[in-house]
Amino acid sequence: MKKRDKSVDKIERRNIWIILLGCVMFLTALCIMWLGSLSFSGKEEVITIGVFSDSYWEVQNGYSYQILEDAIDLFEEENPGVRVEYVSGILKEDYPEWLSEQLILGKAPDLFLLFDENFNDLAEIGALKDLSVFIEKDHGFSAESFYTSALDCGRYEEKQYALPYECAPRLMFVNKTILDTEGVEVPGGDWTWDDFYEICKAVTRDLDGNGTPDQYGTVGYTWKDAFDANGVKLFDEGGRECYLTDEKVTQAILFMEKLEGLSNGYQVTGRDFDLGKVAFQPMLFSEYRAYKSYPLSIKKYSGFDWECLSMPAGESGSSRSQLDTLMLAMNENTSHAQTAWKFMKLLSADERIQSEIFDYSEGVSVIKEVTESDKTLRLLIDNSGENSGFNLDTLSNAVDHAAVVVRFRDYEEAVAEVDKAVRDIMEGSTNISTQQIIWNRKINTFLKNNTGDSKNP
Amino acid sequence: MNNNQMPKMVFFGMLNLNLIIILYISGVIANGLSGYARENTAVSFLQQVHSMPMVPWKIPVMAFLLFGSLVLFLCIETESSFLVYIKSGLEILVSLFLIYILNFSYTGILLLILADIIRRFPKMKWKFTAIGIVCGVYLLTDYNLFSGRWHITSFDTYLLYYRSDVRSIMLALRNIMNSLNMLIFIIYTILLMRDQMSEKERILQLNEQLNRANDELQQANKQMEEYSRESVKNAETRERNRLAREIHDTLGHTLTGIITGLDACVTLLDLAPEAVKEQLTVIADVARNGMTDVRRSVKALRPDALEKMELEKALVQMMEESKRASNIEIDYCCTAPLTHFNKDEEEIIYRIVQESITNAIRHGKADKILIAISMEYNVINIWIKDNGIGCINIEKGFGLHHMEERLGMLHGSLNCFNNNGFVLEASIPIRWGEEMK
Repeated sequence: MKKRDKSVDKIERRNIWIILLGCVMFLTALCIMWLGSLSFSGKEEVITIGVFSDSYWEVQNGYSYQILEDAIDLFEEENPGVRVEYVSGILKEDYPEWLSEQLILGKAPDLFLLFDENFNDLAEIGALKDLSVFIEKDHGFSAESFYTSALDCGRYEEKQYALPYECAPRLMFVNKTILDTEGVEVPGGDWTWDDFYEICKAVTRDLDGNGTPDQYGTVGYTWKDAFDANGVKLFDEGGRECYLTDEKVTQAILFMEKLEGLSNGYQVTGRDFDLGKVAFQPMLFSEYRAYKSYPLSIKKYSGFDWECLSMPAGESGSSRSQLDTLMLAMNENTSHAQTAWKFMKLLSADERIQSEIFDYSEGVSVIKEVTESDKTLRLLIDNSGENSGFNLDTLSNAVDHAAVVVRFRDYEEAVAEVDKAVRDIMEGSTNISTQQIIWNRKINTFLKNNTGDSKNP
Repeated sequence: MNNNQMPKMVFFGMLNLNLIIILYISGVIANGLSGYARENTAVSFLQQVHSMPMVPWKIPVMAFLLFGSLVLFLCIETESSFLVYIKSGLEILVSLFLIYILNFSYTGILLLILADIIRRFPKMKWKFTAIGIVCGVYLLTDYNLFSGRWHITSFDTYLLYYRSDVRSIMLALRNIMNSLNMLIFIIYTILLMRDQMSEKERILQLNEQLNRANDELQQANKQMEEYSRESVKNAETRERNRLAREIHDTLGHTLTGIITGLDACVTLLDLAPEAVKEQLTVIADVARNGMTDVRRSVKALRPDALEKMELEKALVQMMEESKRASNIEIDYCCTAPLTHFNKDEEEIIYRIVQESITNAIRHGKADKILIAISMEYNVINIWIKDNGIGCINIEKGFGLHHMEERLGMLHGSLNCFNNNGFVLEASIPIRWGEEMK
């Protein structure tokens, strides 16, 4: 009997060892899984930030790292023991690929700049840290100081995944020389589609008398601009339904048809505007910043006098337009979340840094007080070299009342579908509303298949 | 023996195959991932997936560690059902984690757990619950079921990195290995079932053999009983015949001689008294000779014990046997030298003690008997007392009569009375030297 007890005892002891060893291996595997997000605090804390070397606004100004360097100096001074590092020399066009590779390889920086077109994908797969917790806990952070529209760009499914860093609204560039020659008054900030159409109609003329017009009303005014101006809400929040059959959509399409009818089939290009043959072209405000200031103004639009206005308001809408935003996001697997948040806050919400955007970049600060300050106004006027009567309210309004962004995965593809639909409807000769219904159904099917539960190819 | 080894070997093979599959899948995934990063197609990859992929090198390392811990848990051998449940729970936990790491592209690992549980099947409590749970987990861990909810990236997405011809070979390889695993599992189950069935058959056969042997044994026992009864009867008959022969040969012969002689004496008494005297002497001789013959016959009937050993030893042995047989207490005290007695004297001492013990047990219901034997000059005294119920009127039965008669033949005396039980006193005068001569 005793002998048996002993052997049973031995087996039990062996089992306990096996269980312990197995659990240790299991826990090791778990630790490896969380390895990236564990913080090993050394002597000094190092946070990394992903940036690109050239300007987001496609303008080479030589100040690419200036704002960042200033922010790092300020941050390291205020937070001793913390060092901020970045990899320099990544071009803007390579940046999304570089960022994705670093994410896949688990070497992504703690913070990184993020383009609008990459935001949906990265937020969806969970590569970005949800900032709502930091925002809630941090009493020094005030969401109200941001332009709501800019802040909303970083929202995805009710969560704040990114903070805006700088932005640029879409504004209407007007060739004042043409308008002066034709004797048309430059419209004010509250102009409408009717005014827009009338001016376009007035300026579209055959100057050399060869039978085809060679001075045009507008170029680059797309259905998107028309939809935004008419207050069209194209998709629901989750991207499950399309509202193409809306009355506002019909109005916008009809207006576009009318507008395009003016050019008599001629495809007006951006080059025509550069040559001073087109009265209106919508562009980003950054473009205005870049080419209005002294050295560059000579290079591009030197043959005519130009100015920027808010977009014309639609029949049932206002002068609403798109806002292009450069965002700042935190890596989900960062091991220095708190410090990264502080630096993020400095870059995005601190007036000292945000005001530098007007000095070294072509964008607009996302902080209301900075953008609307006298200093900024003076700076803009100084830069344009003349008292052009630029109204800061135009800018502020355009940013503040920018079109609401709807965020969902495959948003870009859905918009491409709508683009196809609008082209088709405008080219088609059949009843517009019938076409709208048909296309709406098609797009809804597309949305269901893409944003539903079975998302994989 | 060889048969028992087979399922174990198949299980071992299954373990190895699973290790290969897991390393293969995790390797393909890890290589695909780093390939996307290497070849500047990371953006398009991230557009296709719905969750952040794991860092490439971690996948095979974690898979290997998890598989190792699963093998360790599978190695636990225990009888306690509590431990079995802990073990199975840990196994399911680890394998679910492993399946998650491999993006639900391989769930055959659960078959390993199932195989292990089936092996323990005959000994397990709640076996159907355990099997049900594992089967349920196996059925539910389907890629398509979870991909929608948890945004799992499919194995195919990782495969997209490879060239299409390589891709199809890789996919085929995984499917082949998966099917192979399934096949091995089926073979394993069949082997195990065959083993258990043959075991049951063997037990059944043994049982049958045992029953048959039992029957035979019972029959033999019966025969034996009959045989012994017969042999007792035979012995009785033989003994009776011998006695009859003995009586006829000795007593019959002597008595016939005496009767004839006495008849002659009656006739001669008046004619020749002197001759009668002579004749009577002859008759006495005949009678004496007859006596000798009778003694010889009786000697042949002496108790077996006395034939084989000395009186003292025989008495002790007989008392021991009685003690053992009837569970009574016998105090025996002997101060006399019990050697050099005549055969008849030895016999009567033996018979008296034997008969008294028998009486005390049978009639007196006694559980304690005192026996004392002493010698006074030439007389041997036997004193026997028991603590039984005794008897009010001592009616001498066959046993006592027989004792008295025997004693009478040796000129001894017998006395018995009640005194808190039955007391028997016998004294026998010893004829020293008669036999010595």
